Amino acid sequence: MKKIFLSALILLFGTLALAEVKVVTTTTIIYDLVKEIGKEKIKVDYICRGDQDPHFLEILPSNMLKLRNADLVFKIGLGLEMWLQQIIDGSRNDKLKLIDLSKDIEKKEIPTGKIDASQGDIHPFGNPHYWLNPENAKIMAKSIYDALSDESPENAKYFKKNLDDYITKLDSKIVEWKTKMSGLKGKPIITFHKSWVYFSDRFGIKIAGQVEPKPGIPPTPSHNAELISNIKKSNIKIILMENYYSDNAPNQLSQSTGVKVIKVANAVYGQSGINSYIQMMDVIVNSLSNNL
Amino acid sequence: MKNILLFILVLFSITNIHSQSNVNPDISLIGSFSAFTNNVEETPEYGKLNFEIPSMELYIDGYLNPYSRATANIAYEEGEFGVEELYAQILRGLPLNMQIKAGKYLVGFGKLNTIHPHAWQFIERSLFHQIFFGEEGLNDIGVNFSFILPTESFYSNLDLGIYKGDAIAKTEVLDPEDANSYLDLRGNSPIFVGRLSSFFDLDDYTNLEVGLSSSYGIHAKMNFNTFGDSSAEPENKSLKYFYGGLDFKLKYKPDSYTSLTVQGEGLINNRQVFRQGNVGLNIPIERVEKINTLGGFIFIDYSFSKQFYVGAKYDFTYGIIGDEPSFTSLSNDDRNKTQGISGWFGYYPIEETLAFRLGVQNIYFKYDDGTSQDSETKVTLQMLFSLGPHKAHPF
Repeated sequence: MKKIFLSALILLFGTLALAEVKVVTTTTIIYDLVKEIGKEKIKVDYICRGDQDPHFLEILPSNMLKLRNADLVFKIGLGLEMWLQQIIDGSRNDKLKLIDLSKDIEKKEIPTGKIDASQGDIHPFGNPHYWLNPENAKIMAKSIYDALSDESPENAKYFKKNLDDYITKLDSKIVEWKTKMSGLKGKPIITFHKSWVYFSDRFGIKIAGQVEPKPGIPPTPSHNAELISNIKKSNIKIILMENYYSDNAPNQLSQSTGVKVIKVANAVYGQSGINSYIQMMDVIVNSLSNNL
Repeated sequence: MKNILLFILVLFSITNIHSQSNVNPDISLIGSFSAFTNNVEETPEYGKLNFEIPSMELYIDGYLNPYSRATANIAYEEGEFGVEELYAQILRGLPLNMQIKAGKYLVGFGKLNTIHPHAWQFIERSLFHQIFFGEEGLNDIGVNFSFILPTESFYSNLDLGIYKGDAIAKTEVLDPEDANSYLDLRGNSPIFVGRLSSFFDLDDYTNLEVGLSSSYGIHAKMNFNTFGDSSAEPENKSLKYFYGGLDFKLKYKPDSYTSLTVQGEGLINNRQVFRQGNVGLNIPIERVEKINTLGGFIFIDYSFSKQFYVGAKYDFTYGIIGDEPSFTSLSNDDRNKTQGISGWFGYYPIEETLAFRLGVQNIYFKYDDGTSQDSETKVTLQMLFSLGPHKAHPF
């Protein structure tokens, strides 16, 4: 009887020690970082696929199901995931903790003055595409570590080691990416959406304009004409765009000016061969540096 | 107008009755402006460009506290203000992960009924909704209890609600002199509405939702002279109804710019109705008869280049659209039928802030007694705008 009781206790505490932190992330970028830090001590899933525009997502009940039993949900914040609260409400999970990864990020392009829809799809709290600066990925990883450690203090050391390993790996990749991007320093490029400011600032690229006349506003012939003149005048060689946008307008600009259109995923699993944040940055950096 | 302004003021103050708050609710406004023409010779609109009075819906929506939120939808239609919806929801913190919704709102019978007309792909309300729910759909006062079922691999939801039932009775006999006369027919008889729905991710780009709905209750109470004797005391009887519904939505969305939706709903109507038979002693014998009728629609909608969409819909229902309410017409009609074919083209220049929609609907009638009535075609051009924050669309 004593042995049975002892075995039951061992089984119970053993199970508790193995208890995973259940995490859901809004994007696959966060998903990858959470996986790197939590590894086998967590169970993680994501809502927005890598080939989807995270600005606009339909509310699918299956995503409510993902959040139903989750302990933590991580988001990019700064108004990117306007759809998230509806999914959280639908999940009915009153124990869910929401972690906004933008809290320690140095925000860019925070609008000043009166904000209204005449400025397009503007983000009132700043540009949310901060993950495209790998230095910010380190800050995100640190915030993820903090949240996982709070949730599972018994695994804090394990998470810390994973964080340190990942930051080391990221640091060495940042040196490599900087070297590769050095040829583009100071050179102007055009982007489709106003989503590359953190990336361009990190690598010293000049963004000379966007294919969208204003954020979220579809390209117009008059704006294209302005861009054509700008491309020719400033000798712009590259249009950089996310692969979930239509390339009709960029291709028209390419035909008129010879500018090269580089279409890349800005999320993990956004295209084949991108299965991690580091692979994504590799693809972006290589696509740009190889097309100099 | 004064009442509406007062109502808005009261609504704002409600959120601050028991707490100090400096957070405002979301306020948004949907405006709609339509012009149409038709081919019905006996109507004044025949062959002319007719402008409808612009309509609008003012939404006020926000959290009351971490567990619940409230929504008001004040509509201005055909020159009159009205409260389209006013409800509160408890979203979390209840046993069994239940959610409770109470107030006046679009009832979840089928999928389409809970969606506001401006968010439909097409312009005209489905024919079977007009017959069985009335011109405004099944919009009622009541309370709904919602449960997520413990199906791990797919999402299933069960809704159970109890309602005042006025919307069901709106298709009954109306006294032209008294717009609320239908209420007298039912008395205080709540109705029950339930829906069981399941949602499946068929793959990364394809989703399917199927639902089963039902509604049960008394649609009318009235006196029957079962002997055909004018001197006999009439017998008061309650007439019951049962609606059973099946709905599905299949959507394929391979990218942000393209989607293909196939959606359909059907309803079976099983109800007791008033019928007159042969003359008894000195007047016709009045009896209760059971009828079985049905209605439904199916449509396909293709959205392309993010800004355009085109689609077609087929409608079928028992009952004749446009009939005056009576004990043998609309939802009480088991002899005559209406069918409709619609097509539409929509253009959203910039996301969903502005939309232009062109809709064509042809409806034709089949009378059991051979009466002929020309089919009716209506062409509508509509402009919609959305001001203020708008939420992501539910599937």
